[in-house]
Amino acid sequence: MDILKNHWYKILAVLLILYVLIVGMITPLKTGITNVAPDRFMAGQGLKISVTGYNSHYQSSDDYQAWIKFDSTHHVAANNMQVIDENHIEFTFGIPDDLPFDSDYGYASLILNSEMDGPSVLPDKLYFEKSTSKASGFNWSKEAIKLDPSDKGFKFPYRNILNETIRNTFFHVAIWFAMFFLMILSLIHSIFYLSNNKFVQDIKASSYADIAIIFGLIGLATGSVWAKYTWGTWWTADVKLNMTAIAMLIYCAYWVLRGSIPDVDNKARISAVYNIFAFAMLIPLIFVIPRMTDSLHPGNGGNPALGGEDLDNRLRAIFYPAIIGYSMLGYWIASLNIRVKKLRDKLFL
Amino acid sequence: MFNKTIYKIAAFLLFFPFQMMAAVDSDFLRSTGKIYSVVVVIAILFIGIVISLVRLERRIKEMEKSDINE
Repeated sequence: MDILKNHWYKILAVLLILYVLIVGMITPLKTGITNVAPDRFMAGQGLKISVTGYNSHYQSSDDYQAWIKFDSTHHVAANNMQVIDENHIEFTFGIPDDLPFDSDYGYASLILNSEMDGPSVLPDKLYFEKSTSKASGFNWSKEAIKLDPSDKGFKFPYRNILNETIRNTFFHVAIWFAMFFLMILSLIHSIFYLSNNKFVQDIKASSYADIAIIFGLIGLATGSVWAKYTWGTWWTADVKLNMTAIAMLIYCAYWVLRGSIPDVDNKARISAVYNIFAFAMLIPLIFVIPRMTDSLHPGNGGNPALGGEDLDNRLRAIFYPAIIGYSMLGYWIASLNIRVKKLRDKLFL
Repeated sequence: MFNKTIYKIAAFLLFFPFQMMAAVDSDFLRSTGKIYSVVVVIAILFIGIVISLVRLERRIKEMEKSDINE
């Protein structure tokens, strides 16, 4: 199959990106808790809360349990449950008055569980205060919290701030990885040009860098849109965002540099050296500095990366093919540019 | 043209999530009932980009084959 031998990666890129698009957008999310009312209570009293769920089957499953968890050893199980409809349920608790903390207030988590839906958590949203009354008669639950396994079926994790936007992982994050792959290719060809002075290496280095910079700008734009819907703003004074913008500005200066030198050989040599410098700046700016200080962006100082429960194996099944698909697509577009430039600059080859 | 296994793999990948959908409530589809239109739109856009790339590739191959310097 001659087509497959020369063009296998193009077909693979198209298929992988279509797979990521279709499966990534259609797969539902796991059950989550969107709202709890009221979300403040005082210790030592009875409490009736009304819970709103997402993708929940409160009516269809008949074994829903709820706990309010204060820390790893203190939790209270619900006394009573009343189902309103598939997305609304009410629980009644009796909160003991001997809270195990020194301060007078804090935040507790709500945990729901059923066999059909699996566990769902609303972490650290229930505000509690110590009360002055004593002897409420309520006690801590002695039984441990038992949760059904949370990995039934092909569903994506539910995170309260992200909700459905967790699907952006296959687009925003994958594009950055593909950009990195193309920048490494560009760096390799720049080093080749400096070592053996063949003009075709300069053509390749600049083409890969072009597509990589475009992917980087796409990554910044998609990240900005994602931020608007989760953080509430298009941009923020955050380390990772600022450092990444600086790295992209350094690479845009590569374009300015290439455009400003008329002599072809000079242009090739100076831009090859600048490319090496720009890549050497990319590593500390994007990876090292943001992890050294607090950042809002996942994966850097103070935030766990999309790992653990956030990037579970179902997301990975679509995330890794997305990286491969975008890298191949970028390679294909760059190869087309290279062929055009080779035809145009035949004299110099 | 292509081997049949490619069609089988593609069909499996495309129809796999629909088996999952049968178990999901219509309540979820309220938020994703429109997701199918979004998926189709983005898929059309992407296939349009791919078609333009394929045509570009064919034109470049023609130029490379001809003896005239571009």
